Amino acid sequence: MRTYWVAYQIALQETLQRRSTLLMDRVGGFAIVVSLYSFWTALIGDKATFLGYTREEMLTYVLALNVLRSFVFTGRGWQLVGEISSGKISSYLVRPLSYHGYALALDLAQKTVHVCASFIEVGLLALLVRGGLFLPSDPATWLLFGAAVLMSSLLFFFLEFMISSLAFWTSESGGPLFCFELFLQFAAGAFFPLDVLPEGLRRALEATPFPYMIYFPVRVFLEKVPTSEALSLLGREAMWLAAVYLCAMAVWRRGVRSYAAEGG
Amino acid sequence: MRAALSKYWRIWLRTASMAMQAQLTYRLGSFGFLLGKMMRLMFFFAFMAAVFNHVETVAGYNLVETALFFMTYNLVDMTAQILFRGVYGARRTVSEGDFDFYLVQPCSPLFRMTCSSVDFLDIITIIPVIVMTGMTFARLPPIGWEGYAAYALLMANGVALIFAIHVLVAALAVRTQELESAIWIYRDVMFMGKFPVDVYAPAVRWALTLGIPIAVMTTFPAKALLGRLSFGWIAYAFALTAVALPLSYWFWRDSVARYTSSSS
Repeated sequence: MRTYWVAYQIALQETLQRRSTLLMDRVGGFAIVVSLYSFWTALIGDKATFLGYTREEMLTYVLALNVLRSFVFTGRGWQLVGEISSGKISSYLVRPLSYHGYALALDLAQKTVHVCASFIEVGLLALLVRGGLFLPSDPATWLLFGAAVLMSSLLFFFLEFMISSLAFWTSESGGPLFCFELFLQFAAGAFFPLDVLPEGLRRALEATPFPYMIYFPVRVFLEKVPTSEALSLLGREAMWLAAVYLCAMAVWRRGVRSYAAEGG
Repeated sequence: MRAALSKYWRIWLRTASMAMQAQLTYRLGSFGFLLGKMMRLMFFFAFMAAVFNHVETVAGYNLVETALFFMTYNLVDMTAQILFRGVYGARRTVSEGDFDFYLVQPCSPLFRMTCSSVDFLDIITIIPVIVMTGMTFARLPPIGWEGYAAYALLMANGVALIFAIHVLVAALAVRTQELESAIWIYRDVMFMGKFPVDVYAPAVRWALTLGIPIAVMTTFPAKALLGRLSFGWIAYAFALTAVALPLSYWFWRDSVARYTSSSS
């Protein structure tokens, strides 16, 4: 465990060292949040609610998006693709550590910095728009939300890992990964609540693991889901996580078996 | 002048052809990237259509008008991506020493840096965008040729303005050998151009018109076509580009003059 803790600390220092890159990443992300917030505000207009969301809830949805994007959508997929393609992965495979554990430690360091930055941005935007935020009053909601977000993050991590592992067989896995990430953003509700979609399409998406990453946790936070239903959804999310984890590990094991490193 | 244009046209064609061959070599990867780009376009379009099932107008624009803004954004953005793709690798070009070769070639290093890397996938992706823009035009009320002329000119002006920004980013890469995220900030901020600038709060609207002129690049052409842009703003758009282009070129030349080669 100590090894991963050290890896986490080093990665944290590295992330903080590249301050201009971090700042620019955050500025770009903030622009997207402002953009989405403005669009939703224009949609609500003078109405009391839109798609069942009040102005306060919609602002909270958009701000929660910013935090969840920082916590859920920061995987190690592209790094894995690069490391397999360049052969750098060999140096990790011969070390006495789990590559997944190591990657999770690095990912956690990245998440730590980005989530802290996102909280500052959320505070700033909430202050600027003076719209008021929806904060759950029931402590159980916070617990359910925390559990949902934790599993979302792991779900994304292993899903991305599984797709990136295609790099063991082809040097072209960047294409499928790019495609997956774009699809995910929409299917997870990272641009808009899935309520906006026609009923049939929304139900089809709900049968996939994607809405569990953003849409479902935010709805839990907004107390749009009764506790009993939230528990049932958490159970389903846990099952998706287990299934994706097993698949990702199976793909990884097969990939490592077929992997051949050449040169020095 | 004609000989120079012919030379640069041939260079562009050659580099575009090489890029195309490289992308055809990586069929799976290219297919994934292409599918992702198409998916992004279709999802946003579906999102817009779904939103208008619940509202009549957004910021005073109906579905067809909002679609026009979205398609205009895509046209301007994709044209710029096709033409100025090289800037995305500017920092690498400098840090790996390739820029030194650009300087000794009988060709403008600015041209080599910005225009000589063509993403063929964007050329394929722009085809459905053009078709969808045509379909949007067909659903607009009758517009005189002056409207279309203003639209075309302001689009060209928008692309020129984007070129100025790309030159600035390339110059920064030459000057600092860093700031690789600068172009990604531009991409993220450009996201705000997906919606008509009228959806934003007045302060943001002014910032997008006078500060980072995303509105001039993406919203102005569509507004001119709809007859909702005054002559004063049209004049401002062209004046801005007339100032931005020489300024960015001056900054580029100054950065190149200070360049001392960053590699061995």
